[in-house]
Amino acid sequence: MSSVFIKMQRNSPLEVYKALYDYGLGSWYSFSSSLNAATPLILTGVSAAIAFASGVVNLGQHGQLLMGAIVTAILGVYLDTWRWVGIPLLAVTGGVAGALWAGIVAAMRRFYRMDEFISTLMMNFVAEYFTIYLVTYPFLDKKAYVPATKLIKRLYFMPDINGLSVAFLVALVVAAFCHWYMRTTKRGYEFRMMGYNVNFAKIGGCSIESNVTLVLLYTGFLSGLAGSLLILGGTQHRFMKGIGANFGWDGVMIAIIANNSVIETILYALFFGILKNGGIGMEFETSVPSEFIVFLQAVIVLTVVATRSAIEFYGQRIKSLVKLRKVVTKG
Amino acid sequence: MTDLIFHIFGATLNSSTPIMLAALGGMFTYYANIFNIAMEGMMLMGAFFAVYGSYFFGSWAVGILFALLSGISMALLFALFAIYLHCDEFITGIGINMVALGWTTYALRSTFKVKGALISPRIIGLPRWQIPFLHKMPFLEEIFSNHPFVLYLAFGLAFVLDLLIFDTKFGLRLRATGEDPETAKSAGINPAGVKLLSTILCGILSAMAGVYLSLGYVTLFSENMSNGRGWISLAIIILVKGRPLSILGLSLVFGFFESIGLILQHYKLAPQFASMIPYLATLFVLYVYGKQRRRTEW
Repeated sequence: MSSVFIKMQRNSPLEVYKALYDYGLGSWYSFSSSLNAATPLILTGVSAAIAFASGVVNLGQHGQLLMGAIVTAILGVYLDTWRWVGIPLLAVTGGVAGALWAGIVAAMRRFYRMDEFISTLMMNFVAEYFTIYLVTYPFLDKKAYVPATKLIKRLYFMPDINGLSVAFLVALVVAAFCHWYMRTTKRGYEFRMMGYNVNFAKIGGCSIESNVTLVLLYTGFLSGLAGSLLILGGTQHRFMKGIGANFGWDGVMIAIIANNSVIETILYALFFGILKNGGIGMEFETSVPSEFIVFLQAVIVLTVVATRSAIEFYGQRIKSLVKLRKVVTKG
Repeated sequence: MTDLIFHIFGATLNSSTPIMLAALGGMFTYYANIFNIAMEGMMLMGAFFAVYGSYFFGSWAVGILFALLSGISMALLFALFAIYLHCDEFITGIGINMVALGWTTYALRSTFKVKGALISPRIIGLPRWQIPFLHKMPFLEEIFSNHPFVLYLAFGLAFVLDLLIFDTKFGLRLRATGEDPETAKSAGINPAGVKLLSTILCGILSAMAGVYLSLGYVTLFSENMSNGRGWISLAIIILVKGRPLSILGLSLVFGFFESIGLILQHYKLAPQFASMIPYLATLFVLYVYGKQRRRTEW
């Protein structure tokens, strides 16, 4: 389907896909940078997946990521400790910043009954402008060309193994932990029950409100961690305007196509990372700009979801027809 | 000082229009019981194609035509996924928004060869209407006159739609479909058809909101220029439960906050904080409504 659109722009689809493949998967170098590109996607994706699976509409990944990133970026400039204390400390504070940002929404929901769906969205915009304010006025690096903070201290850069950043491994471990948590612990079970049926969970004795608060804090932490890994393990090591890119919404989309399962989320995040990284290469090779990838991703999401739900709906209809016929013929 | 106040009121009308148009569009789907969050995307597409038509054909009318076509096709896309293929409406909405965002940034780069924003004298803006009999009253003229004509249509539309929803057969059918599609079906209404129609109307109105943004409010297109207005309009619809006249009122409140923000930029306040105001206002309104709800529930 997407090739039709490429054709429309007078480019050969095959060439585009080849470039996508070469730069996304083709060699260890491009593969590892694809994995690095997938790092924030894994975390925002898992964050969205857990929230949705628990029936909490947390759409604030973008804002939480930004808050995590800015806190890490600012602390990274001023904090003075040893390397192996500093990196985890910075990552965790970033996550906590995201959790607190989500915590505002949780408090608003709990005490003022404000729907988290709209308030998380609005907090995204507030976070966006707030962080831009911070990097344009108080923490501006005057030598940078665009509004940005100073580089964090060199010793806090996350090491990489042969091009593959440790940040990716951290994200993977955290995601695996989330999978375990949702599958085997009592809380995880409660969360999932809330997603299936709130009333059932209520009758089963879960405290819905405090669980929702927990889910918001937890998913906020994940998004915030995505932000701080972006600073510690990314390529820029500073907070720049527009660093959040589209990670928040990408995470939401990934969670959706993964049907809110953590493992599938990781896989789709890798796939999106490959696309993203390949998109940059595609821009080099052909005249298709990398913005096309955003469009391509959306088309993929819609197609996957549509096929799945169409099959489900019409499959069920056929099944019931068959059943009906059986009953009728027997009678 | 009085000048400033009148200026603020004029600007309020101006900035509330796109929010109101999108909210009126979303109202249709609200009554048809479709959880439609695609206004943002439809608006963005409308804004882009308005500029596209205006740029290449040198006329605002073609711009509007293009925008409406894009709005309708986005609505058809939404309907295809959400109504006929039975996807989750929420997911479809997010998908549509992403398609719009991706497509407009991509097309901005591949068609106009610019990144960020397209500003060009070739974009023809909407004509502005002078209200003739207001000449004698300069203050009122400052507020009400010399706005793009869509603004007047939009405010008229709010009243027309109020009648349409509550006093006509179509309105009744629409609401019946939303309340209970099975019952509506037994009364001889085709629920899918009504839903499709309401989605298309939503697409048209949201696209008009986009036209107002890119050809009326300013005459340029920038990446993601709808910037959350679709979400704010969704918040409005949910808060007032879809009543068109209340939408009008609440849109004015939001327009007021937005123009206050714009005015404050000229003073000491950092522009980022000024831009935050509409979103904070949304949170505040949400808070007020939440408080009310709590009072009625307990």
